[in-house]
Amino acid sequence: MAALLEVDRLTMRFGGVTALSGVGLAVREGELVGLIGPNGAGKSTLFDCLTRRCTPQEGSMRLDGEDLAGLPAHQVAHRGVARTFQNTGLFPGLSVRENVMAGAHRHGRAGFWSAALGRAAAEERRLRGVADELLDRFGLAAYADHPAAGVPYGMAKRIEIARALAARPRLLLLDEPAGGLAPGEVPAFADLIGRIHRERGIAIIVVEHHMEFVLALCGRIVCFERGRKIADGPAAAVRHDPAVVAACLGVVS
Amino acid sequence: MSAPWAGPGAGGPAAGHRRLAVGEVAGDRRRAWPWRRTGLAVLAALALALPFALPPYRLFQATLVLVYAVALLGLDLVVGHSGQISLSHGAFFGVGAYTAAVMIAKLGLPYPLTLPAAALVTYGLGLAAGLPALRLRGLYLAMVTFAVAVVVPPLLKRFPAVTGGAMGLPVPTPRAPFLDDDQWLYLLVLAVTVVAFAGVRNLTGSRAGRALTAIRENPAAAEVLGMRPATHMTSAFAWSAMYAGAAGALYTWTVGFVSPDSFTLSLSVTLLAGAVIGGLATLAGPLLGALVVMAVPAVAQELSPAAPGIVSGLLIVLVVQAAPTGLAGLLRRAAWSLAGRRA
Repeated sequence: MAALLEVDRLTMRFGGVTALSGVGLAVREGELVGLIGPNGAGKSTLFDCLTRRCTPQEGSMRLDGEDLAGLPAHQVAHRGVARTFQNTGLFPGLSVRENVMAGAHRHGRAGFWSAALGRAAAEERRLRGVADELLDRFGLAAYADHPAAGVPYGMAKRIEIARALAARPRLLLLDEPAGGLAPGEVPAFADLIGRIHRERGIAIIVVEHHMEFVLALCGRIVCFERGRKIADGPAAAVRHDPAVVAACLGVVS
Repeated sequence: MSAPWAGPGAGGPAAGHRRLAVGEVAGDRRRAWPWRRTGLAVLAALALALPFALPPYRLFQATLVLVYAVALLGLDLVVGHSGQISLSHGAFFGVGAYTAAVMIAKLGLPYPLTLPAAALVTYGLGLAAGLPALRLRGLYLAMVTFAVAVVVPPLLKRFPAVTGGAMGLPVPTPRAPFLDDDQWLYLLVLAVTVVAFAGVRNLTGSRAGRALTAIRENPAAAEVLGMRPATHMTSAFAWSAMYAGAAGALYTWTVGFVSPDSFTLSLSVTLLAGAVIGGLATLAGPLLGALVVMAVPAVAQELSPAAPGIVSGLLIVLVVQAAPTGLAGLLRRAAWSLAGRRA
């Protein structure tokens, strides 16, 4: 099966700091990959490169054969890439439902003129339906009309995932989705992500420090350390790889 | 259907999470006002009764309040919904007013034509001035709009044959086919105001309006979702200018006289103050702000000629400090506590 995402020899330097150094990664359609590594390993930088928030100096990133490096950030979304942010990137001035509806932005058409003339009502109902279904799925329906400002961290994480899913991506990049969850909540949450992955058949790369979460969820694990890929393979093999254990597992028995 | 993701704190209120009172923070989309329908009905009845209850001068003032409300509605698209600063809306207002004045007084065209013409001219102007928004934001955009505000009044004085120069231009006001002239004019302006409010209401409750707020609050996340900040910002600016221009045409109908000194930077600042004091990114804000724009100079002028500026400034400081949601937010909270519950 051909790879959906092909990253090849990607290098990203910020001034004198090399965040990514010749990283290669291939993700197949519908694959779920766990990306682990200590802080500063370049995990979020990879996401930033893929979503065109920064431009790598060397290497290529291809989605379905098309080079992402040549696209402006808003076009990447239209190619079917969605992401969440490590420190959550919600819109606090919108309600929880509107945040999710904003995720479905690329599936609407209404501009200023048609909206002001009242021609966007049907589209609005459709986007609202998409959002409400996802809110229900994530147990957020009770908060639909609540402002997104001031929601607890764990809930913000869930809203953000719902928002990313509203974009109906082919490739979903989750940056520490389990952050802010109580330890008891982690297995159920991993289960939910796993079910969504199976149902929708989307490719997911999930960055997470929470090893329990990654091991429960991902069949394949990639490990970065200081901008380099040090391991890539089946979860069972990677978790016992001495280099990986030394770099980031350490305390996990 | 029970929540399939049933971890602790999933369905019910999450631990440590306080439901905020309606109107406490911006972006609250729970049912905004208690007695909403009743309130709107009372407002509508009041608006329709005014021309038959008020003496002519008061009615003239009420008409001007509606004119300013339309301008503030537009300004709020930039300041409230997009979170940018514009100092050029007094100038757009003036260009709209002059477009109407020249069309009526110099070209002898019927006044109803002047409204779409003023809107069109200022839309184009707004698009041109807003194009820097493709590259500029925040302070830099504010500087561009400042330049527009400074350039327009002298430009208006520059061509006395067309604009009447520094002396200004008297314009015949609309004649009523029935009713008194001032009553007719009020109802006309009221109709335009209602359409203007409906337009912004539709806009802000749509994909485009949501994108504006999203871009204001987190441009990076908005872009990742496929929104184009520059395009939306420019459209918002053009629309905003168009509203100000349309309000300017209404101003000419109402006042029957335009002079370059009416549309200086100080008008822009007054409008900005009105938008902030009324309450940003709400529908009630522009109406309440228009009352302030109308009332503050009238009241403060009695103290000293310099007082209106000082009073406006103090009011801004007070509102920003004590009630960031403006008069609209205060009113909303008062209404909710009267209604006896926090939603």
